[in-house]
Parts: sequence; structure tokens; C-alpha cells
Amino acid sequence: MRTLLIAALFALGPAVAGADEMPVYKLVAKDGVFDPVTLEVAAGKKFKIEISNEGKGPMEFESKDLKQEKVLAPGAKSSVVVNGLKPGTYTFFDEYKPDALKGKIVAK
Amino acid sequence: MGNALFIVWRESTEAMLVVGILYAWLAKHPDVRRGMRFLWGGVAVGVGLALALAAVMLGLSRILSDQALEYFQLAMMLVASGLIVQMVFWMRRHGRTLKRELENDMQKSAAAANWWGLLVVVALAVGRESAETVVFLYGLGAQNEGVGRFLMVLVLGLGAAFATFWLLQKGGKVLSWRTFFRVSEILLLLLAGGLLVSAIDKMIALDVVPALVDPAWDTSALLDDSGRIGGLVASLTGYRARPALLPLIVLAVYWAAMVAFLRRGSR
Repeated sequence: MRTLLIAALFALGPAVAGADEMPVYKLVAKDGVFDPVTLEVAAGKKFKIEISNEGKGPMEFESKDLKQEKVLAPGAKSSVVVNGLKPGTYTFFDEYKPDALKGKIVAK
Repeated sequence: MGNALFIVWRESTEAMLVVGILYAWLAKHPDVRRGMRFLWGGVAVGVGLALALAAVMLGLSRILSDQALEYFQLAMMLVASGLIVQMVFWMRRHGRTLKRELENDMQKSAAAANWWGLLVVVALAVGRESAETVVFLYGLGAQNEGVGRFLMVLVLGLGAAFATFWLLQKGGKVLSWRTFFRVSEILLLLLAGGLLVSAIDKMIALDVVPALVDPAWDTSALLDDSGRIGGLVASLTGYRARPALLPLIVLAVYWAAMVAFLRRGSR
């Protein structure tokens, strides 16, 4: 009985972890410059963007299209979770550098 | 930053109005000069209370986890927009009688030599205005702007408030209290609506509420909300180039309610 339970747990474990896993995209912001500047994601799937601010000043990852706002101190790392997107292009930018080149997320 | 500046300006002008009325009354009654000390004491206590509130909120932001912080900010945005609306309608109701009410309180305090009572009245009035400023600024995300910019907003806002107050006290030839309240209350209601839209957007991003249709339409060719001008319009009014349906409905209900309240109040 006990071995059965343990076996069941082992069998279930990866499945549970798998359901929780979502694609992660890394994004580096450096004084208004994003790397990469275009992210391609799968449409309709929840995903995560891990942002790190390597610039000298604070930055605010902002996207009205994605309804996201995140402030990062210099050197800080943080992430935002985006729910499934319809196919299309979504803009994001550094709110503190409104004139810099904006980043794009392309959902396909 | 423009929004933060506006909030500091309007709240400080309001606080100066209260302090100004009490100051003028005390200045006209030389026998109660002792009250002056308590007046300024009340101002100090009020500002102190607001600073304590700011410290608690910033401290909370530091210890909360990433996820919890999102919800805390969401709550503050909702509280801030509610407070702004409440403040506008409170001022509409009490604006006209404010002077008389304050002077009555003062007379009672003076008659009973109850200067601590005066101190409490001032501390509450000033504390209220400054605590509101703290919550609004937090709701607008001003704490992220960096200390230098934040202090600049504070100094500029206070300076503008002093200038406005001085103009208003000169007898209203250039600017009357009526115009001041009329114009600033419309801006405040716009700002509260903008905050409300941001809060609903945050709720959608946090998966608390459904977007319904997203986007409902696309006007980014007309006015892009990520640009300089579009961004300003967005934070002041809640404009979105590609809005979801839910915040649109909420904003429509909000404005219908505000117009109804304003109509009822002006009758």
C-alpha cells in the first residue's frame, strides 16, 4: 500500500510540476535599451518574462497592452506573468525613458 | 510626475486654506496670541502623522513579497481613487461653511482656553490633507521616482500652493476660490477615473477579474498611449489605445455616477 502511494506520488509529481511550468523569456534592460527588443511567444499560452535591470538608474517595465507595470532598482531582477495573448503585436517600454526604442512582443 | 505635482499642489492649498482661516482669526484677536503656538504645533503634528503613515507604507512595501506587493499596490490605487472622490464631494458640501465652522471651533477653544483642542483641530485638518497626499502619491507610484525627483515634486508643489494661496487671498481678482475648486475638482475626478482604470487593468493582469473583450478596439493610430502625450492623457484620464471591455464599463459607470452626483449637488 505504502509503496503504491509513493509510486503514485512519483508518477504525479512531474505532472503537477509540469502544469505549473510556463515558458520563461529573459529580458535585459539597460538604460532604456532592451535585449532582446522583440520577444516571440506562443499565442494563447501563459508565460513569464524575467526582467533584469542592468542599467545605472531605476527602470519601469511598462506595457499598457499587457497591463503590466514593474519598477526595478538598478541591478534588480523581477518577473511578470502574462496570461494567454491573442495573436498580435504588443508594445512594452521603459516608462522613465519614454523616447527610447520600444520593445515588442509578437504572439503567434 | 505631473499628476503627483498636481496632487501636492491641490492638497497643500487646501491645508493652507484651513491654517489661513485660523491664523487670520488669531491675528484679529490679540488677547489669544498664545493660540498661535498651538496652531503651528497642530501643523507640525499633522505633517508628522502623515510622515509616519508614509514610513509605514514604504516599510510594508519593503517586507512584502513580490506577489503580495502587487495586491497592496492594487488596494492603494482603489483607496486613493475612492478618497479623491470623497474629498471632492466633502469640499463641495463643506467649502462654503468651512470658514464659519472653523471659527466656531476656534471661538469655543478660546473661550474655554482649550488650546489643546485647537491643536487637535489643526492636526486633524492638516494631517488629513497630508495623509491623503501620501496615499495618492503611493497610488500613483510616486515612491518609485527616486528621492531627488520626489523632493523636487514636493518643493515645486508646495511653492505653487503658496503662490496660489497668496493669489487667492488677494481678494480673488485674478483667481477666486470658486474657480480654484471648480477647475481642480474636475481634474481630480479625471485623475480618480484614471487610477480606477489602472486598478482594473492590474486586476485583469493578476487574473482576479476577466477582461471580457480584450482589446475592445484599437485607437493607437490616433493617439498612442505609450508615447509622451498619450501617456500623459492615459494617466490623467484612464485613456487606453487598446482598452479591455471591463475597464471601459467601469469607467462609464464611474462617470455616470459622478455626473449624477455633481448635478444633484449643484441644484
